[in-house]
Amino acid sequence: MTLKASAPILEVRNVSKTFGGLKAVTDFALELHKGDLQGLIGPNGAGKTTCFNLLTGVYRPDAGVGERIVLDGQSLVGLRPSRIAAQGLSRTFQNIRLFGELSVLDNVKLACHVRVTYSMLGGVLRTAGCLGQEAAITERAMELLRLFDLHDRAAEQGRHLPYGAQRRLEIARALATSPKVLLLDEPAAGMNPQEKVELAKLIRRVRDEFDVTILLIEHDMGLVMDICERITVLDYGRTIASGTPAHVQADPRVIQAYLGAVDDEPAPAAGGTHA
Amino acid sequence: MAWSLSSRASQLGPPAAWSLVRGVLPFLACVAVAILAQVILKPFLITTLGWDFAAKMIVDVGINIVLAVSLTLVNGFTGQFSIGHAAFMAVGGYTAAAIVYYGSYRIAGNPDLAGGVLSSMLVGREAPWFTPHDLLFLVAMLAGGVVAALCGYLVGLPSLRLKGDYLAIVTLGFGEIVRVLIQSQTGDVLYDPEEIAQTPAWKLAGSLGGSLGFSGLPFYTSFFWVYLLVLVTLLLAWRIKNSSYGRALISIREDEIASEAMGVDTTRFKIRAFVLSAFLAGCAGALFAHTVGVQLNAAELGFVKSFDIIIMVVLGGLGSISGAVIAAIILTILPEALRGVAEYRMVAYAVALIVMMLVRPKGLLGVHEVWERAAWDWLLGASKRKGAGR
Ligand SMILES: Nc1ncnc2c1ncn2[C@@H]1O[C@H](COP(=O)(O)OP(=O)(O)OP(=O)(O)O)[C@@H](O)[C@H]1O
Ligand SMILES: [Mg+2]
Repeated sequence: MTLKASAPILEVRNVSKTFGGLKAVTDFALELHKGDLQGLIGPNGAGKTTCFNLLTGVYRPDAGVGERIVLDGQSLVGLRPSRIAAQGLSRTFQNIRLFGELSVLDNVKLACHVRVTYSMLGGVLRTAGCLGQEAAITERAMELLRLFDLHDRAAEQGRHLPYGAQRRLEIARALATSPKVLLLDEPAAGMNPQEKVELAKLIRRVRDEFDVTILLIEHDMGLVMDICERITVLDYGRTIASGTPAHVQADPRVIQAYLGAVDDEPAPAAGGTHA
Repeated sequence: MAWSLSSRASQLGPPAAWSLVRGVLPFLACVAVAILAQVILKPFLITTLGWDFAAKMIVDVGINIVLAVSLTLVNGFTGQFSIGHAAFMAVGGYTAAAIVYYGSYRIAGNPDLAGGVLSSMLVGREAPWFTPHDLLFLVAMLAGGVVAALCGYLVGLPSLRLKGDYLAIVTLGFGEIVRVLIQSQTGDVLYDPEEIAQTPAWKLAGSLGGSLGFSGLPFYTSFFWVYLLVLVTLLLAWRIKNSSYGRALISIREDEIASEAMGVDTTRFKIRAFVLSAFLAGCAGALFAHTVGVQLNAAELGFVKSFDIIIMVVLGGLGSISGAVIAAIILTILPEALRGVAEYRMVAYAVALIVMMLVRPKGLLGVHEVWERAAWDWLLGASKRKGAGR
């Protein structure tokens, strides 16, 4: 499906982050090719979310260690998050961060802002460009809401949505920025089994229909093993394994990390129903 | 990407000529309505009904609407807590006053009102429709706005690093600095035509009356100028709120991290909000300075005035344009109606603010406009909850 010979869409090397004395992430490296659907797993506190924050510019990687984050040929190191989003890297948040007072529709429309080309003055004068783009944005946002089965609630305030719907809205919003790479931080957290099955289908569909590359953090091993083609495992900020689900599940270091580190965390093999 | 905004937009967009008409016509309508207010409503109120006081109140209400709506851009939409708004008003007011006062001397040799029908609240005055002095007043008002906007830019800069209380303290400090500088560092107002003619402009700019206030200003402010500014401000705020830029501003208030992650350059937008807000407040200050019965004095444009404006924004709803308008109307008229207990005003405001923060932290209407159902959901919701309890 993907030509591995082609240049990666996202290439990460030597990315580390230290908080005070804590090495949250050490030498993170990653290579995503167009159309990949890759998983990023690891016990609580392993540094997964920190990796996302580093990629999206919320944190700056430790400097001077040859840190490298390249999206489709463009270096992202040192850019502010809004520029990174404009370059085509979008994300969702583990602890949902919707614009609660805005309507569900406006949440998605806001995310189209990166593609807007009319000026603020154009907005005040309601130029043809402004009206056309606003119409196109509304149309696009409704399409996305329909895909995520949220169109019936378009006018509701974001904060009034049930939990599962809020998670879906976060994905819809992230997609509205027209990303090349989409980072999903525990999209299934708090969902019931039925919702998780739907979500798995949806993530695959998004990857296929939107021509987007996906990196997914998820604790639900069933889901990860089911939909991800490759998986990277973090433990204490270090990458301890990387490969196909079967390969990763069989890795003794991974089993050790899960069984040894956190008691209530299921080992990858235990939670996974698919090989 | 498969979806391209620009190509889809060009398919959906209206013809350029038609949108130009639709886009600009409302601004022309603002001018027309403002003219009608001046030539029909004003004489009707003052001459026919004899309601001089009501006419004065309508001017005050208008100026306060502009102040409240402009502050809504910063405190309401963007969620930055600025408490020095009156300082922008002072900067704009003094700038415009200096231009009008000394400009009139340079042009006519005296500072007397020489505007046309559209300027001033006087009735039965013989005057042409429009005179060069009206233009001077307009230029002065815009200059007041621009100088205030520059200050807005300077105050906006720290807002990039400071949040919440810290930003509030910076804006408060800015307000006090402006007040003190004008009061203590400016010289007496000059009134000798000879002297004024010989004094260089930069020195005139420092002769603003100091602690005595800027006396002798001509009263240009009229229904026309006030409601022109009110309507343009409302149109501006409304159109911004309903554009991608308004969503961007509000998203900063809702969640700054998510806003930035979705591609909103929060730094730039905060500055923009401050600049535009200060510009409008500066224009409002220019109108305030030239209002009948006002003696421009920085002492009156300190923290207490800023607080009056904040109360309007908070009561109306942080982000609601119509809420700010309604609150501005009520809170301008109420203190006049309750003259006897006016001294308790600040106490009442403080109590209202505390109660508000406790029961309805986002203001009566929240971000919503009066005509939107969501604005009243809380009321219905509250009554429902009460019903369930019984
Ligand atoms: N801003 C910060 N300041 C200090 N320490 C931090 C900060 N952000 C994260 N950490 C620490 O870095 C480590 C990695 O945190 P991170 O949130 O990336 O873990 P995670 O893998 O996403 O865990 P979870 O599965 O619980 O979401 C943790 O020990 C955390 O306490
Ligand atoms: Mg996490």
